Amino acid sequence: MNNLWILNMGFVALLIGIGLYCLLAMKNTVKLLIGVEIIAKGVTLALVASGYARDNLMLAQAMVITVIVIDVAVIATALALIISINRHTKSLDVSKLTQLKG
Amino acid sequence: MLFLFIIVPLLLAGLLPLLGKLSKRFLPDLLASAAMLFLLVLSVVSAKPLIAGGGIIQQAFWFGAPLNIRLLLDGFSLFMLFTISLVSFAVTLYSINYMDHYGAKANYYALLLVMIAGMNGLVLSSDLFNIYIFLEMAAIASYALVAFGRGHEELEASFKYLMLSAVASAFILLSIAVIFGMTGGVSFGTVAQGLKTLNVKYVVGVCSGLFLAGFGLKAALVPFHSWLPDAHPSAPAPISAMLSAVLIKVSGVYAMTRIFLNVFGLTPALTTVLTVMGVVSIFVGALAALGQNDIKRMLAYSSISQIGYVVLGLGIGTPLGIIGGLFHLFNHALFKSLLFLNAGAVEQSTGTRALDKMGGLAKVMPLTATTSAVASLSIAGVPPLNGFWSKLLIIIALVQAKMHVLAVLAVLGSVITLWYYLVLQRYAFFGKLNEAWQGVREAPFWMSASMVLLALLCVVTGLVFPFAIHSWLQPAADVLGQGIGVALNFIGF
Amino acid sequence: MHLFLLIGLVAFSIMAVLSRDLLKSAISLAVASIFLALVFFHLGAVYAGVFELSVVAGLITVLFITAIALTRNDGEVAESKRHRIVFPLFFLALAVLDILVMRKLLGQIPAIQGAGSGTFSQVLWNQRTFDLVGQVGAIFAGVLAVLALFRHDSPKGDSHE
Repeated sequence: MNNLWILNMGFVALLIGIGLYCLLAMKNTVKLLIGVEIIAKGVTLALVASGYARDNLMLAQAMVITVIVIDVAVIATALALIISINRHTKSLDVSKLTQLKG
Repeated sequence: MLFLFIIVPLLLAGLLPLLGKLSKRFLPDLLASAAMLFLLVLSVVSAKPLIAGGGIIQQAFWFGAPLNIRLLLDGFSLFMLFTISLVSFAVTLYSINYMDHYGAKANYYALLLVMIAGMNGLVLSSDLFNIYIFLEMAAIASYALVAFGRGHEELEASFKYLMLSAVASAFILLSIAVIFGMTGGVSFGTVAQGLKTLNVKYVVGVCSGLFLAGFGLKAALVPFHSWLPDAHPSAPAPISAMLSAVLIKVSGVYAMTRIFLNVFGLTPALTTVLTVMGVVSIFVGALAALGQNDIKRMLAYSSISQIGYVVLGLGIGTPLGIIGGLFHLFNHALFKSLLFLNAGAVEQSTGTRALDKMGGLAKVMPLTATTSAVASLSIAGVPPLNGFWSKLLIIIALVQAKMHVLAVLAVLGSVITLWYYLVLQRYAFFGKLNEAWQGVREAPFWMSASMVLLALLCVVTGLVFPFAIHSWLQPAADVLGQGIGVALNFIGF
Repeated sequence: MHLFLLIGLVAFSIMAVLSRDLLKSAISLAVASIFLALVFFHLGAVYAGVFELSVVAGLITVLFITAIALTRNDGEVAESKRHRIVFPLFFLALAVLDILVMRKLLGQIPAIQGAGSGTFSQVLWNQRTFDLVGQVGAIFAGVLAVLALFRHDSPKGDSHE
């Protein structure tokens, strides 16, 4: 059971790595959000895998559902932001967001 | 009773968009201010006696029926509750005048209330996963509030903030998942007990690293600070004040301190990392602030620097260091919100945030200038104002802990702080009045009232600091000083 | 079987990242979600699986596609071609590192068995009531955020047209 947990955690690490790559390398704002979604998938997988390994699946599922609900709220806000930005710049290109110098 | 701290703002947030249809300004103003005042009074009058004998777990009630919600209140969470309520009350008063030209006031107050409900929930929760949920709730509301003006700059800042903050939340949740996979539970008690029995140093190390990155991003510690100088200046002034003064402290510093000190237990390695991050933040923030011409950006960098002091104090882990850190947290909440409100008043009157275009504003805006001078002297650590005492405590604690180099650096950081606040004062308020600002008037009544309130609090806190330490800070520091014993006490609830 | 599902999940995630067409990306993401839901079913987490299928593969995909349709007014954003080369290298390094670390951890991690008890609804309603309050708050925040960003009065100041 523990080894299955470690196998799952390995894939969690892969998903988070892919998501971070997407966030760092991509230029399209919608793509960045897809990166965030991939990271979120990795984390939900981690929660369920932990619940399965510790025989506490019900608690894990309760948490996963909360995470998904919160995720929907974040994604909705982010997409609303992207649409509003698009009205200003007529583009989805993040490199055109140069008003601020970070 | 404690449940009121979460449910009152949340219910009002649900009602306000409907009430906003009836009355665009008056009702939202009145109800939001009344709710904040109620929470402030509640935290002082009712919540304080509850913890006379130490921390408690209280079950929530909903119209007399018990709910399966258990809220943790001890000295530390009460201290944070009080700080949140105080700043949000001042900010709401200020918003009555300031937010008029933005439109959609009911919607604005609703978002502000959701953010406050989220922070109160975070402070009262006794379980890692609840911390995550309320963190996100406050964060989602804050993304919308940063973008509330819907100008290009606001939207861009909010988008960057959202992306980094989402990554931070993911790190935090991943760490929670790993801990859950090790200990089979997520409540403070189960986790503290589980980690103690298992004694797995390297996994705790990995989880600490993830938490450090996640909460470090939320608290804008160097090297995770890049979003703050964009997000905080772009927001409307009361929101900048709210974010800088409370949100980064609750979702960053409070959550991190609670987990590291009360659940994991502070290790020497962690002390080193936290103090070094603190000192680096002090310098990076202060040096970057020196070069700014935009008044709100300067204040934002200064927040990074002052958060460094807070983390430095808490990271030492000695009782005096913890008291100093907490006291600085409270003081920073007061003077940084005041400074952002001043900057907002100036921006509203003159339409600019560029320091070199201002000049001589003290003649036309005497109240704003005076309160801003009080806040600047306080944050720079001039005795006998409150900022002096908290920095002094942190430096004494560093000397006691034999960290002499860090103590010298902390003093040096304080000198740089004094320097850039003098620059700010000189450019904005002193000297010859710029021709263009002849017709500028003092800020409207509620904005002035809120600034005067905060300035008076800065002075009073400085004068009565022994009382403040004895009655509010000591109980909070005691909780942190007990280490993981706090969490172990709550097993079985 | 489990491994196969996990590999499918990762493969479709990679497609979502690398695909040049945003619509294809969104659909790959939805397929990845379906794989994740199948993983959940396979582990016995039925409720989480159903939720993943309906909300993430369904609702979030619809949100993505709506946003893509609303913002499609000037061709594509030119992603640099380097990703075709850089990403495989990055992924390979990540995978090798991952396998090495996980092999080392096999059988190494001690753990405490949790006290799993009760049915799903009991856990959600009796132990995690506080989470539900948080969910309500997050939904409020999301709805209010969308309302605030799409309100009708004129936006303030600096439009860059």
